[in-house]
Amino acid sequence: MKAVELAGNEIVICNCGGNYYAVQRRCGHMNAPLDMGTLDGTYLTCPMHCVQFDVTNGEALSGPVPADFGKETPPPMLGEYFQNVGMLMKHIRTESIRTYETKLAAGWVQIAL
Amino acid sequence: MNLSWVISRNAIRKPWEYEAVLMNAESRKKALHYFYEKVVGPLGFKFTPDEELMNFLLEQEVILENKHGIPFCPCQPLRHNRARDMQIVCPCIPFHRKHFDEIKRCWCGLFVHKDVLDPDKLPQLSPKDVNLE
Repeated sequence: MKAVELAGNEIVICNCGGNYYAVQRRCGHMNAPLDMGTLDGTYLTCPMHCVQFDVTNGEALSGPVPADFGKETPPPMLGEYFQNVGMLMKHIRTESIRTYETKLAAGWVQIAL
Repeated sequence: MNLSWVISRNAIRKPWEYEAVLMNAESRKKALHYFYEKVVGPLGFKFTPDEELMNFLLEQEVILENKHGIPFCPCQPLRHNRARDMQIVCPCIPFHRKHFDEIKRCWCGLFVHKDVLDPDKLPQLSPKDVNLE
């Protein structure tokens, strides 16, 4: 995977066994940079909450994986903070990501913006 | 209605409780199939040749994943004890290796040993039935 910026668009180019796909760099969940995630086949996993996308069409395949806070009770202030974050996070939707048409020409990957 | 009341009412849900999301079941099933195959192959297992059963079980896992954020085994109960529940995240073969090797299938039958051609002949035996408890 390689992140590039073209005319203000942050894009990740994914090499899936010789087929090139270009998708928006920002995760459809919380904007994390997807080029720091992992690409397996055509499935891209976000490094932040493990949301998965299909790079062939940008479709969001899963929501975020819930965090494990263990059995330990956080200190009251931190607990309150987590509650507020949780309250906000439950309104965040996971959206599919934008894809860009690509073309291989003379060893270059061309991206249609 | 003041703001603090609104926040405290919404904050009843604990942050680690999962907000259900709805994704395209068919695409997710395809992705789960892709990832599971990579995990179970080296363990000596394959997907059941019964495609109808395979589709049904994967669909149930997608429903569970939409609900909990994790594709749990659809045939085992959640105990709401994280350590135990993590042992039934599909494919749960590594956590029950001895048992599943003995019965040549996983508990719900989504995966069978690579040499199995007719999964219907494999009974669903508990660890007790195969003297593992």
